[in-house]
Amino acid sequence: MRLSVACAVALALCLPAIPAQAHHSMAMFDQSKTVTLKGTVKQFQWTNPHCYIQLMVKDASGKDVEWSLEMGAPMYLYAKGWRPSSLKPGSAITVAINPLRNGEPGGIVLTANSADGKQIGKSLARTS
Amino acid sequence: MARLWLAAAALAAFTAGPALGKTPAAPAKLPDWGGLWEPEGTDTAISGLPEAATEARAEGKTPSGAGGSFRPLFGFAAPWNEEGKRRQALRQTETANCRAQGWGFPMMMNADAPIQFFVTRDKVLVINAYRDVTDVRMAAKHPSQDDLWPTVWGDSIGHWEGDTLVIDTIAVKNPHEYFHGAPPLSDKAHYVQRIRMDKPHHLVNDISIEDPTTLTKPWTAHLTYQPAEGFERMVYDTYDNDRTECGTDSGIAPSKVGQ
Repeated sequence: MRLSVACAVALALCLPAIPAQAHHSMAMFDQSKTVTLKGTVKQFQWTNPHCYIQLMVKDASGKDVEWSLEMGAPMYLYAKGWRPSSLKPGSAITVAINPLRNGEPGGIVLTANSADGKQIGKSLARTS
Repeated sequence: MARLWLAAAALAAFTAGPALGKTPAAPAKLPDWGGLWEPEGTDTAISGLPEAATEARAEGKTPSGAGGSFRPLFGFAAPWNEEGKRRQALRQTETANCRAQGWGFPMMMNADAPIQFFVTRDKVLVINAYRDVTDVRMAAKHPSQDDLWPTVWGDSIGHWEGDTLVIDTIAVKNPHEYFHGAPPLSDKAHYVQRIRMDKPHHLVNDISIEDPTTLTKPWTAHLTYQPAEGFERMVYDTYDNDRTECGTDSGIAPSKVGQ
């Protein structure tokens, strides 16, 4: 029995990342890396199957680069205190992301803070 | 006189229960399972990933529960036979990034999307925010094979054993094609759920699955549910910003909305 459980765990760890929600695998994101980005919101897309933040970020040479930052489905954001109006174009924000593995300017948003350092939405911790 | 006879016949037909067998007796007082419920351990962060995993990764730690141990119906520990193992491997290689219409059954019972139970004497509806519905008729028998209508939610009948709701489900069509994370069971699988409230604000669901096509023996799983917070509006609308491409892990395309 111990062996079969161990095999199951090993199998599970080898398989592609399973999504938390109903859309796609998360294998495209490097969940071992966390990158912090500071930028200006171009657009906040309150859409299914995922919300996106289009964020303008200056690269090392000072050039503006548009990042596509994926989030969960709107219902999950809503439950965490986010609303369609939570981000306005032109807002300065800081986000922590897991970047895309392919090196393109994109990733999945772990946390988002406004310019004054305040977390957008509710705390991660459950309230009960 | 004839009218009286017809009325009596109509009353007798109504009280005899549905055509698919007499409705099992319901308890004197139906349980209150109101509100929204989510499987314990699947609270979802803004990333769309489990909150515990997101927190751990934000702190540079390896999350516990890797590989879906919090979600037993993914089937990593199921007693697959050779056909089941083949399907399980295939599922993982062919369905990356594929669009899913919802969770289907049985995954809707082990999903992030909160579920609600609408309990009446003749029917129980289990509904989630992706509009998955398990429609449980409180009947003694499933339709005959000729009358079965396979769907991704199956055909469900139920009865009460004290405060435990027993749901018997068959004819679940292509669960892993509807939602790629679902176990690759065949449409011959037979599911029995025993759901009860073991303490306030806590539901348990002991599910047993038999499938001679893919399993070596009955597969059992124990699911627990806690109240889901913040989902009171259960809003879910159309996929209008799907950036992924089935069968790839190539990334997310540039913005498609409002550009």
